[in-house]
Amino acid sequence: MSPRRKNKKPRAGTRRRAPERGRRRPKKKTCYFCDQNQGYVDYKDVAALRKFMSDRAKIRSSRVTGNCPQCQRKVARAIKNAREMALLPYIKR
Amino acid sequence: MRAYELMTIFRPEMAEDDVKKELSQVEKALTDSGAEITLSDFWGKRRFAYEINHLNEGYYTVTQFNAEPGALNDVDRALGLSDQVIRHKFVRPE
Repeated sequence: MSPRRKNKKPRAGTRRRAPERGRRRPKKKTCYFCDQNQGYVDYKDVAALRKFMSDRAKIRSSRVTGNCPQCQRKVARAIKNAREMALLPYIKR
Repeated sequence: MRAYELMTIFRPEMAEDDVKKELSQVEKALTDSGAEITLSDFWGKRRFAYEINHLNEGYYTVTQFNAEPGALNDVDRALGLSDQVIRHKFVRPE
């Protein structure tokens, strides 16, 4: 875009569109467990489950991780099972 | 028959042989109630992610088996009452 047009008022017709210019479109994420082991989530696989936890040991949302809804439910369930068996922490300070 | 998986945590003061003996007793109790054991795994001593009853580690064991639904009730209760077992959990892998 030329510098002269930069501060021009947007035309009436283009106002309603989302401001796409300048914003980076995030890469489409794929579901980790669907790709890796056909959607089977094991509560004993601590290393894999840690990928879906924050450093405060909270479960990350699928919006962040890109899990499909089915896998997100399985991941959450698996993390909770692993927490009960003291494989993963409930909180970390 | 359904596939089940049992994870058990034993007390850390025990000797490793005693844990294995205890585990074979658990497996015997399972087979007595009509289960077929497919896999038995001894993880050894492992640190907990958090403190349980002022303990920081325990022996982990994993057993996979096929059993009729409802056959586990007695074993479940026995494990809960046992002094050597800190925690146990039955899971159905799908």
